Amino acid sequence: MIVVAVVDDNMGMMFNKRRQSKDRALRERILALAGKGKLWMNEYTYQQFSDCDTGGIQVDPDFLDKAGGGEFCFVENDSVVPCAKDIEKIILYRWNRKYPADFRFDINLEDSEWKLAETREFTGSSHEKITEEVYVRG
Amino acid sequence: MSVDKRKRFILICLTAFGLMISGCAGEPSAEGDLAPGERVSVEERSAEEQSSESDIGQTVRLSGQAGNVLAADSLAVSEIPAYSGFPYISVNDNIPLFTDEELVQNSFETYSKLDGLGRCGAAYANVGTDLMPDEKRGSIGKVKPSGWHSVEYDMVEGNSLYNRCHLIGYQLTAENANEKNLITGTRYLNTEGMLPFENMVADYVKETKNHVLYRVTPIFEGDNLVAGGVQMEAMSVEDKGEGILFHVYCYNVQPGISIDYATGESRLENVTAGQQDRADGAAETRYILNTNTQKFHVPSCSSVKQMKKANTEEYTGDRDDLASMGYEPCKRCNP
Repeated sequence: MIVVAVVDDNMGMMFNKRRQSKDRALRERILALAGKGKLWMNEYTYQQFSDCDTGGIQVDPDFLDKAGGGEFCFVENDSVVPCAKDIEKIILYRWNRKYPADFRFDINLEDSEWKLAETREFTGSSHEKITEEVYVRG
Repeated sequence: MSVDKRKRFILICLTAFGLMISGCAGEPSAEGDLAPGERVSVEERSAEEQSSESDIGQTVRLSGQAGNVLAADSLAVSEIPAYSGFPYISVNDNIPLFTDEELVQNSFETYSKLDGLGRCGAAYANVGTDLMPDEKRGSIGKVKPSGWHSVEYDMVEGNSLYNRCHLIGYQLTAENANEKNLITGTRYLNTEGMLPFENMVADYVKETKNHVLYRVTPIFEGDNLVAGGVQMEAMSVEDKGEGILFHVYCYNVQPGISIDYATGESRLENVTAGQQDRADGAAETRYILNTNTQKFHVPSCSSVKQMKKANTEEYTGDRDDLASMGYEPCKRCNP
């Protein structure tokens, strides 16, 4: 599976059971990334995609267990450590902002197991600069 | 607001302050006086109550809910957990104290009058895109909030211990050099405590064009001129808190530096006042001499206040010279 996640400057993802931030341009980019392939997520995440679902989104509370090889999983409020061995690639988006956090992305990307392969930047609909980082196994 | 809450609110207003408070609900008054706050109880959160990922170890639970449009329950500083390494803690399980009547879809901003000590009170706004700035912030250097000192430490990011902290951040309401919206806050409070919450609200409003009710209340202990921290509450209006919902207390501390909140004076932790004065003053330091006991003190030493005027002398110069004159350092202030 290919994990997709969005983090702030401190690898935070959520505060008080709510996503730190969201951005329409980022959603469009994630949908384009998945293309005609499967994009997995849970019900909470689907709430922000319901208006732009063209049929490729798979919604399931256990999506991290069900996603197959090469399929995308957009993770907002789940730990990814339990499925770490199944992750082929991580696409990490950075808000380049500091938000409050009580839930964080829990794979250590500083670990030698992961290598930063690509970096791109783009402007979001409400965020000046969003950075896309692609991590592959080192 | 429930009937019980309304009764409690009225009772508090009448008995504690005798103030007439207008506008218990609905449209906010322009610059309302503050209602007194009720006390809070503090409990350690049980393991079950904490999410395993949470790095906020404690929460403050409010024992009652009262307040008018402008002021939430003020937290009692004595009942807030001591700073333990995290810039903020949750209050009341992150539930703000806004009432349903306050969830209106028009933008506004209100700021409390300064009190008799020149201190800010609650700042309250319904943040919408129409309030947000369309130009860069101007200078705010002419405002001197209560307890203000210009003091620098190498260990502080940017060196300045204190920032003029906007209660409601400039990025939310474009309020610039308003003395009713600026407090003396540490760099840590500004960037690690308050800014992340401001960012979250600002980006939510920009993305959704929704409104966010937003209230920041500085919490002062007694007559202290520097707030111990700020209480921050926010709730997104159109989606009734689905997007933004928090109630936190941010500590006005700077790790490694000790602050006298009564005056705003500060020193490096684990350094006595005397050592700090020596470091600041180098060779030419001002001391207070007790000509009777032959002791010398730093001017701020509590013993100085107890000295008879006839025995008191000021001295500015080298500490070693005093020793050669037969004076001994006070053991209380260790000059």
